[in-house]
Amino acid sequence: MGRITRRRFIFLSGGAAGALALAACGSSNGGGGGNAGVQQPQSTGTAAQAAQGRTRVVFWSSWGGKNGEALTKLVNDFNAAQQGIFIENQFQGTYEETAQKLAAAMAARQVPDMVSLSEVTWNKFSMNKSLQSLDDYFKKVGLDPQDYVESLINEGTRQGKVWWVPFARSTPLFYYNRTLFKEAGLPDRAPKTWNELRDWGKELQKLGKPDLKAYAFTNAKNYNAWHFQGNVWQWNGNYSDKNLDVQIDGPNAVAAGEWLRKFVHEDKLGYMAPDQSVDFTNGVCAMTQQSTGSLGGIATTAKFDVGTGLLPEQEKFGCPTGGAGLGIIAAAPDDRKQAAVEFLKFLARPENVTYWSKQTGYVPVTKSAREAPEMQQYFQQNPNFKVAVDQLPKTQPQDTARLFVPNGDQTIGTGLERILVNNEPAEAVFKGVAEQLKRDAQEVKGQVKDLGLS
Amino acid sequence: MEITLRKAAGKAAPRANWRASGAALAKYALLILVGAVFFLPVFWMASASLKDLQAIYTFPPRWIPTDPQWSNYAAAWNAAPFGRFYLNTIITTVVGVGAELLLGTLTAYAFVFLPFPRKDLLFLVLLAALMVPIQVTMLPNYLTIANLGWLNTYQGIIVPGASVAFGTFLFRQHFLTLPREIMEAARLEGAGHLQLLWRIVLPLSRPVFVTVGLIALVNKWNDFLWPLIVTNRINMRVLPVGLAYLYDQEGNSQWGIIMAATIFVVLPIMVIFAWAQRHIISGLTAGATKG
Repeated sequence: MGRITRRRFIFLSGGAAGALALAACGSSNGGGGGNAGVQQPQSTGTAAQAAQGRTRVVFWSSWGGKNGEALTKLVNDFNAAQQGIFIENQFQGTYEETAQKLAAAMAARQVPDMVSLSEVTWNKFSMNKSLQSLDDYFKKVGLDPQDYVESLINEGTRQGKVWWVPFARSTPLFYYNRTLFKEAGLPDRAPKTWNELRDWGKELQKLGKPDLKAYAFTNAKNYNAWHFQGNVWQWNGNYSDKNLDVQIDGPNAVAAGEWLRKFVHEDKLGYMAPDQSVDFTNGVCAMTQQSTGSLGGIATTAKFDVGTGLLPEQEKFGCPTGGAGLGIIAAAPDDRKQAAVEFLKFLARPENVTYWSKQTGYVPVTKSAREAPEMQQYFQQNPNFKVAVDQLPKTQPQDTARLFVPNGDQTIGTGLERILVNNEPAEAVFKGVAEQLKRDAQEVKGQVKDLGLS
Repeated sequence: MEITLRKAAGKAAPRANWRASGAALAKYALLILVGAVFFLPVFWMASASLKDLQAIYTFPPRWIPTDPQWSNYAAAWNAAPFGRFYLNTIITTVVGVGAELLLGTLTAYAFVFLPFPRKDLLFLVLLAALMVPIQVTMLPNYLTIANLGWLNTYQGIIVPGASVAFGTFLFRQHFLTLPREIMEAARLEGAGHLQLLWRIVLPLSRPVFVTVGLIALVNKWNDFLWPLIVTNRINMRVLPVGLAYLYDQEGNSQWGIIMAATIFVVLPIMVIFAWAQRHIISGLTAGATKG
């Protein structure tokens, strides 16, 4: 090898870097489209063979594992069923990771066309006006939004327009160990109220199993603020109102928290489990509350008879919705938006809603699917799943403090941990939580008012 | 080291001998404890990779699977295009580690052996770069890469991590300890800078070279967030992102299959580590005996 002097080396490497930069400029100029400066993320790489000559829709989704396979099948079916549109399904990690990627993609003006967004993350993009209102497209492609379950489509409707379409929706569900209930001589149903639950817990204690606890709550990381949303409503309280005025330190929410504290620390009937599904399936607790989406997993891993029921009431019934829906990005080109809505129409067909629901455990999101014979038959075989679906019309969107306040979910959740683990009085804990929420709410309060939530 | 300890014990009085073996015992107990802390999670991973979901969730836990589910491995391999993920990871890791070593040694060489103004200030700036967390640079880096049209490309994954302040810092600290006399002698023989680096500095720096290389290797092989952000298509994904394809959003994950996939994701890196760590140790002791 010839001798390379330092100067020559620097000259060479500098030249190489310059050439790289030039090449890069060339490719980025060549790849841009004419869509108001929006460059699609698929501008690099080659298109799938099947996509040639079709309108392509880049769909960022968040489902891996078995659910990811179910979604892939639906996408492939759609792509095979017609010639005009090609859906390119790109998995992007969890709901949170997908939202982070979308935020970065928007800053770089390289957005996808359709995205799955959770009941929490979609609010951020709704506030920033990044989503497309869909009513006109619904009319164009002939998709009837009235077919979606009312409580679910209402959640994605703001200022009289639909922005977010229900797809993978879940709710909390009450689970109980039927075998243990029978042993303790309890009726074969979920307790109607929290006070009944406490009485039954005492009956279960009499079984004399030292390791058995009546009921498992969970921690902040496992979304205990989602589950406790139901409790707060059941006690006639709220985390906050539509204008993002914080109310978690109000008397009713505090009463809900106090009931929890006494149940755990005085009655010794409840405790906090990092993953209540694991404890429940191992018979460590006799009752718990977990997502409807976990029903399949719990039913297959439990070595006993699993029963489900509506959430317990106190002053009244209360149950939040959860999971994810689909949104279409406002900056996407018009033909792609319409193509994406065509795909939504396909997903809303009864047979596809039924397939997705059966594969994943998410609740059927359309009325037509719920009435379909195939779904009815499935209900008969899986009465536990029917309970989840029956509960659905009684659900409501969560309070703004958990949905809009940055880190609101964790602020409430860690407060709950202090009650469940440290035995701190709910009043003091929620006072601190409320102060924190109010501080963090400042930056988004104006935007939430602009949304005009009803 | 063990030999010197025993020799010393042999010469001393019986009570000191007893005390020395007591110390050795305590040392081994501590080593076993620390070893267990590191080993058990890996063992649990291997054990869970052969179980079905029910066996994993059983309490009290069963350490040895009674009915090994070898099918977990086939299921994991077929759940996503792991062959492609392997290829992508090998390309980004090998090129990335190579770039980091090359740039690190060149930069450190300049800091130690080349005279230029404001050297200390520049080094301070380099150290400051050590303290900037990735979350801060992620968005600007993403915008740059996106504007270059490098999303979904190997260079998009590799280039932002090609130069790492930590490696440069380690190289510089080591180069400072090299005897200047050897460098002077080589220079009198007419060696240029690149020759000095290649023939003199690097052969004397094998332990630190392997150390930096290993750290870079593990970091780049395991990197999740950056490759996730900068690629969208499944054919450009790397192994750690590939693992995410197996997770279930609602907590219904098939842990047996995920653990099986994790095994074949970490196995190459464990083998390389086991092989390369010898070079770190032998390098260090070689230096010690000479001194």
